[in-house]
Amino acid sequence: MGSIKIFTKRECPKCPAAKEIGDILQQKGQQVQYYDLETPQGLAEAAFYSVLSTPTILVEDEQERILAGWRGAVPTLQEIQGILRA
Amino acid sequence: MMPVTDIRERQRDLSPGDTTDMALFVRTSEESMEGWDRQRIVDALMRETYIDPDTADAISQEVEVIIRSSTITMVTTPLIRELVDAKLIERGLEEARKQHTRLGMPLYDVNQLIMHPNKENANVPHGPEATNLTLAETIKKEYALLHVFSQEVADAHMRGDIHLHDLGFIDRPYCSGQSLEYIKKFGLNLPNSLSMAKPAKHPEVLLAHMVKFAAGLQSHFAGAIGWDAVNLFFAPYLVGMGDAEVKQLAQMLIFEFSQQAVARGGQAIFTDLNLYWEVPRHFRDVPAIGPNGEFTGKTYNEYLKEAQRFVWALFEVYGEGDGAGRPFFFPKPLVHITEDFFRTPDHERFLNHICSIAAEKGNTYFVFDRGETAKISECCRLSFKLEASDLEDAHQPWKMRYSALQNVTLNLPRIGYVSDGNDTKLFENISRFMDLAVRAHLEKKSFIERLLSLGDKGPLALLTMNQDGESYLRMRRATYLIGMVGLNEMVKVHTGHEMHESKDAFKFGLQVIAHMKLLAEKMSERQGMRFVLEQTPAESTSYRFAKLDMRFHSPQAGYVVKGDIARGEIYYTNSTYLSNDAVINPIERVRQEGLFHPLIEAGSLTHIWLGESRPSAASLANFVTKTFQLTLNDQIAFSPEFTTCNACARTVRGLIARCAYCGSEDVDGITRITGYFTKVSSWNKGKLGELRDRYRNEAFIKKRPDDAQIQISV
Repeated sequence: MGSIKIFTKRECPKCPAAKEIGDILQQKGQQVQYYDLETPQGLAEAAFYSVLSTPTILVEDEQERILAGWRGAVPTLQEIQGILRA
Repeated sequence: MMPVTDIRERQRDLSPGDTTDMALFVRTSEESMEGWDRQRIVDALMRETYIDPDTADAISQEVEVIIRSSTITMVTTPLIRELVDAKLIERGLEEARKQHTRLGMPLYDVNQLIMHPNKENANVPHGPEATNLTLAETIKKEYALLHVFSQEVADAHMRGDIHLHDLGFIDRPYCSGQSLEYIKKFGLNLPNSLSMAKPAKHPEVLLAHMVKFAAGLQSHFAGAIGWDAVNLFFAPYLVGMGDAEVKQLAQMLIFEFSQQAVARGGQAIFTDLNLYWEVPRHFRDVPAIGPNGEFTGKTYNEYLKEAQRFVWALFEVYGEGDGAGRPFFFPKPLVHITEDFFRTPDHERFLNHICSIAAEKGNTYFVFDRGETAKISECCRLSFKLEASDLEDAHQPWKMRYSALQNVTLNLPRIGYVSDGNDTKLFENISRFMDLAVRAHLEKKSFIERLLSLGDKGPLALLTMNQDGESYLRMRRATYLIGMVGLNEMVKVHTGHEMHESKDAFKFGLQVIAHMKLLAEKMSERQGMRFVLEQTPAESTSYRFAKLDMRFHSPQAGYVVKGDIARGEIYYTNSTYLSNDAVINPIERVRQEGLFHPLIEAGSLTHIWLGESRPSAASLANFVTKTFQLTLNDQIAFSPEFTTCNACARTVRGLIARCAYCGSEDVDGITRITGYFTKVSSWNKGKLGELRDRYRNEAFIKKRPDDAQIQISV
């Protein structure tokens, strides 16, 4: 199973919704990593994945290849689960 | 005849104790011979320092005794000052000694300077004007370090923790960006000039005004002078002109700027021409200014054809090169590639045109303005993203005047050496160095503001001229640059790997720059100023830092610096670049280096070193399009190498020791040193080391089986 990366900022209207989805997936045993763009680590990771808008959710496989991504938008839980199951 | 630099005791028969009658002649800094008067020492001490009259008098007596009792036959005012300074030190009056210091250069150094070229800046030729420039710069540099900056900041520069750029131009801002609209609307009315010119009626006159104004700006800024949308703002003057006339004007413009070697210090004006194939969105509905500075009744959107004809002609001239077929070093053409570029008819033909010049001569810079971003570029890669207020100003484009006040660069490998592999210490040290850079900016800002406050009677009168309700230099819109050198080597010191060697090392590099960016934002908020990161071109700084680190951090630095230690050709990798010798597919280098670019607000650039290979225009056009679409890279330039023969005036591809035509060894190599072309013979040792290391992408520039075309594999 791969992992999910969620990129957020403090003053970003859609970010709480993205975090909420991440929390639900985490409770279901999915590995989720959160990155705050206002910290050097978070901003560096965002730069590495060319993340220019928040929230961004990236789904990666075990080899860290990106399977799907939503940039500046929040997908539904089902959409992410669909990718993870595929 | 009495030597001009002496002081002579003319009346040796006088009693040695009778100082009042001792008739010494002192050669003063006012170029006159004056009789000895001890009171002058007292006067100078009282005028220049804060010591009390009794101490000043005592010092003057002691100095007089030394001179009288010595066998010196030639005394100069510098010698007297040195003796006085020694007495101040004996009394522990360090601050007074500093205030009393004389600025200048040893005779030996001046002789060296006059006889040998200066290699700190390859854009300074060797000649009497250049010598004047260097002499003046040397004194102003000392003045800056003693008088403008605090001791802590000055010491940090001297140690090589940070580098304060252009100290020799301490009394000027760093660089300037503007459009032709200012001189089109107001004519050429410069403070202190002997005549005033009304707005130009003819294109040739507008060109003359542009060149004169650029020279005026060069005398008031340390670095580059950038011009926005040059082809568009010339366009209203080109209506009705035939293609041959437009080409002639293009030729005049390029030759005028490339032959300005008679200006300040014999330097060509570091000129950036920002060019567009489309009419930039923010200028489309703007009323156009035409001959006589009058509005033409049309908007710039209606001048697309003329603007395109002019930019096409400019590149034809670039393609032909100078009289010896060499690429023009200046002015630099920066073509903005935008979303609208790809929507503008005939963009493929134009892209092919500018790519053929990029392949042939290397001149073209490709600046990528993605999304809604609009930029104006100046300096090597410095660009400003236009903000909402700027786009408002765009309706009156003469108001769009931008300046960076100073550039301060951090020695990142040094931070690595002193942090002992400890993350916390490393980030703390970055913050400490950034803090020093901010202090340096505050001190320079305060100094420039003092000069500006003198208004039209002051040294920066040109920058205070007010034609549109605001000073020419808009301090409220000034930026303060914080650059970096040697990220790659810092990462190596800290993680054991260079950035291209491991993903973790690369990500750590990103984290360092992310930390710097967030700090710059925080400091901007705190100080109410704009501190932004810049990729320092570091023409001499990377060499200077490497040399200082070899002195202070050996043996560790010996394993880290790049280049050839035995030859003394050592350097650090510029800014956030990947190692010059790393074998990386060019598009991958552009992509990876481009990941840093969104973090560096004041602009970034990736070089693609071509060596002697000559890729096809089509393959470069494909490369440019892919860079725009698939990466976040801000700007790219393809850099070929040339050899020009001084004997037969012919130019060939590649760096070779002997002319391919006539066999002469009197040849010059030409390629990009940082952000501009220049002769290799003028490079400093560090840059020569880098040149030897540059990976020229040979493995990726492949010949097709039919040998008809060379392509860069993407």
